[in-house]
Amino acid sequence: MKKFVVLMLVAFLFVGLAFSEETLRVLLPIGGGYTIEDQEAIGNEYEEANPGVNVEMEFVGWSNLWNKIITSIGSGSAPDVMYIGSRWIPALADLGAIIPLDEYISQEKRDMYYDSVWDTVSYSGKTYGVVRAMSTKAFIYNKEMFAENNLDIHKNWTELKTAAKVIDNSGSDVYGIGLAGQRFVSTVTQFQQYLYANGGNIVNKEGEAIINNENGVQALDFYVELSEYSQPGISEWKREDLIKLFESGKIGMFIDHIHNAKAAEEKGIDVGIFPIPTGPMGDKPYSTVIVTDCISISSQSKNKELAKDFMNFMTSFEKQKKWDLTLGFVPPMVEEKELPEFQTEFWKPYVEAIQYGVPEAVNIKDWEGVQQAVIDALQKVILGQSTPQEAMDTAAYLINLLQGN
Amino acid sequence: MEKLKKTHVPYILIIPLLLAFIVLIGFPLLNVLKTSFYKGTFLNPSAQSFVGTANYEWLFNFKIYNPDVSYFVSAFSRSLLWVAMSVIIKVVVGILAAVLLDSKYLIGKKIYRALVVIPWAIPWAIAAMMWAWTLNSQFGIVNSILLKSGLVDSPVSFFSSTSGAFMTTFVIDAWAGMPFMVIMFISGLQNIPETYYEAARLDGAGAWKQFFKITLPIMKPVTLTVSLLSMVWTFNSFDVIWVLTQGGPVRATETLPIAIYNTSFRMLRMGGIGKASAMTIVQVLVVTFISVFYIRTLREDEA
Repeated sequence: MKKFVVLMLVAFLFVGLAFSEETLRVLLPIGGGYTIEDQEAIGNEYEEANPGVNVEMEFVGWSNLWNKIITSIGSGSAPDVMYIGSRWIPALADLGAIIPLDEYISQEKRDMYYDSVWDTVSYSGKTYGVVRAMSTKAFIYNKEMFAENNLDIHKNWTELKTAAKVIDNSGSDVYGIGLAGQRFVSTVTQFQQYLYANGGNIVNKEGEAIINNENGVQALDFYVELSEYSQPGISEWKREDLIKLFESGKIGMFIDHIHNAKAAEEKGIDVGIFPIPTGPMGDKPYSTVIVTDCISISSQSKNKELAKDFMNFMTSFEKQKKWDLTLGFVPPMVEEKELPEFQTEFWKPYVEAIQYGVPEAVNIKDWEGVQQAVIDALQKVILGQSTPQEAMDTAAYLINLLQGN
Repeated sequence: MEKLKKTHVPYILIIPLLLAFIVLIGFPLLNVLKTSFYKGTFLNPSAQSFVGTANYEWLFNFKIYNPDVSYFVSAFSRSLLWVAMSVIIKVVVGILAAVLLDSKYLIGKKIYRALVVIPWAIPWAIAAMMWAWTLNSQFGIVNSILLKSGLVDSPVSFFSSTSGAFMTTFVIDAWAGMPFMVIMFISGLQNIPETYYEAARLDGAGAWKQFFKITLPIMKPVTLTVSLLSMVWTFNSFDVIWVLTQGGPVRATETLPIAIYNTSFRMLRMGGIGKASAMTIVQVLVVTFISVFYIRTLREDEA
């Protein structure tokens, strides 16, 4: 009898061990189209495919994601897998908070994406993330307003400004263009559209500030010129809110994601899309900022193999395709681009823009600080406190400090 | 033995509070003090280097936009003005609202008192978002009223100018902190014997004279206490400004708590956490100094 009891206990112990759960902690964003339900569904699928694994998902709003990441790293409790804005990679990688993934990424996986996509998640010759979401931007315009004012779509900045002016003068409650100026990440991206279109950048390959060169100053000057024909008080507007102005017929055009073009169409606006035209100093016909979000693995993770497996599961071709079509992101994978769903009139300008795109934050080592410096420069000129050159010189000085130059 | 026990009771009773103070406030504060002498970052907590008083020197040396005033001094002086304005509004409007709500001539007092508490029931971040849209230049109801009543010709952008954003944020902060002030003032007013007012009326004193000669002097201890509490809370106010302006435009609403946040989370490579800790220590010292001054004034008054 004693032997039987001991045997039963041992058997229970083995069964218990066999069914003991391995927990994978994953930090994910919500907001901007990202829902808890969509992301939990992926976690559930992974658990079903991998019995014994418990995917513990934590959701944080985009505006608090950066704080959450660095405080969890600071307190030694970083999640295994983190969904991050690729712009944060240099800061996180430099300080050893995330690990290089080169050994975890097969050649087959690497070949699935455009090279320019890998550029957005690379730093110092190493890859620190696998892209999960990518966006390019284009001008969304009100076709009816353009037709009423005999305007065609524009191929350069002069035509763009003229169109903004014409629409602005066409009615007391109508503004030519919607612009962002609030202290928010997307305000920097909105300005970067013009900066890159004019052949400029925030920093060079060595990480030194070049935002105050002629390209940068001219881009800022143009942004301020456009603001004469935009909704008043742009410092209180962020890009995410401009859609409300467009949907209510208050602005003729603005730069945004494809999902907002679709949203406006559903509200009854006759929507057209055209690529962002090059500036006087630009060397490409069109331009766009390529923004990506990616999956990274924390250096504090004790489940790196499992984290790698989850990362590959989450970014499989089928999952990526479903994700992009559901949320309205531009396809980061070569094969995905060829799908019939991405060949429509709305999708084409966004997909074709990839070839002219420049990554959002290459060589920027402390994005959050740099972001503040750029917005300060923009707001100072908008408020008439500085000339574009003075504002950019101050921004460059601050950026160099933040970059550790 | 019994006498000994009695004298020990207060000390025994205070032990849990002391322990809570040490664990929840004393230890973190000592940690902040220690960090203020190091260069480090959140992202690599183990890589810290001792820098002596360099972080404190940085507070007065680092200048961004004003060549004459350092980043810290600029944020600190902005904070003082912002807190002063917010607290003044809370005290003045709070006491007037309390007098009104305590008036025997007011019908439906209970309803109004319940309405006054509403701002308290709304999370600050949500309240701030609500105000952002209420004051929005294109869709906000305030601009709609201003335009329709002919008070303005074009929409007012409350957050797009430096002075506008500064004033709007402290007014909204005052709105959010008003319920506490009103409730405290009402409880203070209810302790004033009605006979004082009756005697004053017999002597021919009008309403204003009664307010300045009876209400205000008797309410002085309550006023000092609530303004002290409000000052400490307002000094740490973060949510309202963060949601509305994130410290902008330019740095117009970057008060000390916002500057501390920006330094620790947005100056990673500059050793932001050490510098932010130094800023925090100075803030704690200043708020403590002001609090001690207030408490001494209160005691002198009671004596």
